[in-house]
Amino acid sequence: MTECLTKTSKKVLTKGNYAIANAAVLAGCECYFGYPITPQSEIGEFMSGKMQELKRAYVSAESELAAINMVLGACATGAKAMTSSSSCAVALMQEALSYAASDELPIVLVSVMRGGPGLGNIYPSQGDYNQATIGGGNGDYKMIVLAPATVQECVDLTYKAFYLAHKYKNPTVLLADGLLGQMMEPVEFKEYPYPEVDNSDWALTGAKNRPGRIIRSYAPSADNQCEFLNKLHAKYKLIEENETEWEEINTEDADIILVSFGSPARNAKSAMKECRKLGLKVGLLRPITLFPFPSKRIAELAEKTKKFISVEINMGQMIRDIKLAVNGKAQVELLNRPVGNPPSVEEIVEKIKKESGV
Amino acid sequence: MEKNFIIAGFGGQGVLLAGEVLANAFMLDDKNVTWYPSYGAEMRGGTVNCEIVMNDSGDVSSVNKAETDFILALNQASFDRFLPKVKKGGWMIANSTLVEEKKSRDDINYFFVPVTKLADELGNSKMTNILSLGVLAKISKLTSLDTLEKALDNVLPAHRKNLLPLNCKALKIGYEYDLSAVK
Repeated sequence: MTECLTKTSKKVLTKGNYAIANAAVLAGCECYFGYPITPQSEIGEFMSGKMQELKRAYVSAESELAAINMVLGACATGAKAMTSSSSCAVALMQEALSYAASDELPIVLVSVMRGGPGLGNIYPSQGDYNQATIGGGNGDYKMIVLAPATVQECVDLTYKAFYLAHKYKNPTVLLADGLLGQMMEPVEFKEYPYPEVDNSDWALTGAKNRPGRIIRSYAPSADNQCEFLNKLHAKYKLIEENETEWEEINTEDADIILVSFGSPARNAKSAMKECRKLGLKVGLLRPITLFPFPSKRIAELAEKTKKFISVEINMGQMIRDIKLAVNGKAQVELLNRPVGNPPSVEEIVEKIKKESGV
Repeated sequence: MEKNFIIAGFGGQGVLLAGEVLANAFMLDDKNVTWYPSYGAEMRGGTVNCEIVMNDSGDVSSVNKAETDFILALNQASFDRFLPKVKKGGWMIANSTLVEEKKSRDDINYFFVPVTKLADELGNSKMTNILSLGVLAKISKLTSLDTLEKALDNVLPAHRKNLLPLNCKALKIGYEYDLSAVK
């Protein structure tokens, strides 16, 4: 597996997990720390060979807590560092993610969602939308969250995750699901397309010939903390203005707009096309960034469309963000599957017919 | 055009690998293709399957299809489970060494072929998956023997390349199997 995944303009057939791992290597990831968990163990497997071959750092950590804290330490030196995990184990990392947001460290976390809550199961799920976008750590923080829907996007958005994490000095999550992790599609590994971000003004690289620096998550006075939070949230606002990304098809004249991210968005797209053939005015909006969420665009569309249908593999989590954006201007319905493969195209078409009164 | 396939059998029969070779062939043919496995707590002796979706529309395929164009069932459990999923006018191709030849649906095409027996005659029953892939590919008319051989070469890792000639032989036996029994 590892031998064929070099930089190439030729397509190779590979799994989402291997695609993510190989893209991380090509993005210049210098350190990988991780602890295995299904359905993302291939990422650690790939890294265990490739990182050592390239004389980069790979540590099979003793726990998820250790892994994420190793990433924190490595990122404090300005290194490109990452970990990868899944649902119940990402839950263990929440404290460190809050610290990383507070310390403004560019950590990259790949979260390949499986069934939950608790130990759950290893079937695909999107039950950690809230975990990623709202967060389970303490305090007022935000992580950048990118959601691939194809194996090619697993590559492209891994590149982007490293870039955005370093550009904004902010923890960044690549949020995939178990289906994408295990799915194989032909992909192309192009050159890492982003510039390297200068971190010479903050990274802890040794204080020779310059004053020492401290990175810490501690503001002893109320004034300090107010000032810090305002600064942090000004950064989040900037991220919202600059980095919100989504795919939008056939929304201009749509009566119903499907909103879906990740693997269910593929079926939503096919269902939308089927419905167009039937003469139903259906569009699709697929958020690619979940934070920042395309709220502004959804609010605009809510002025002229009748209904939104959120298609998710959970009990309905993204639907809250859609409702907030819609703000009562249109109806918002849910088509979900609690866990497992996405709702089928036929199920989505049925739901659309029902909602259009056909 | 979009066509989908399910390859199913016992864990250990090589159904995921056969699917990967087929997906690889479609990639070599410049088609869009998606492969995904049934993914639970699978084990040797249990049932396992993978689905392959190919299209030439240039767009991403949907997944978790309600119906299937071509199903290859390598054991009885897979045959029973997936028979209702065959699309009207679609194909159920079954390993008659392990599957009872019974046609309970009249709206689909059946093809029974003793693939395990043929693989045994070739000298290695582990060739069942690749031999049956040959049959499946021939019936589907969606890729060529030549492409499948290249795909096999792509998929086999370096330390298994010694098995390539035997696999190619198995593939050819399947691909050239007499389909005259097919109506």
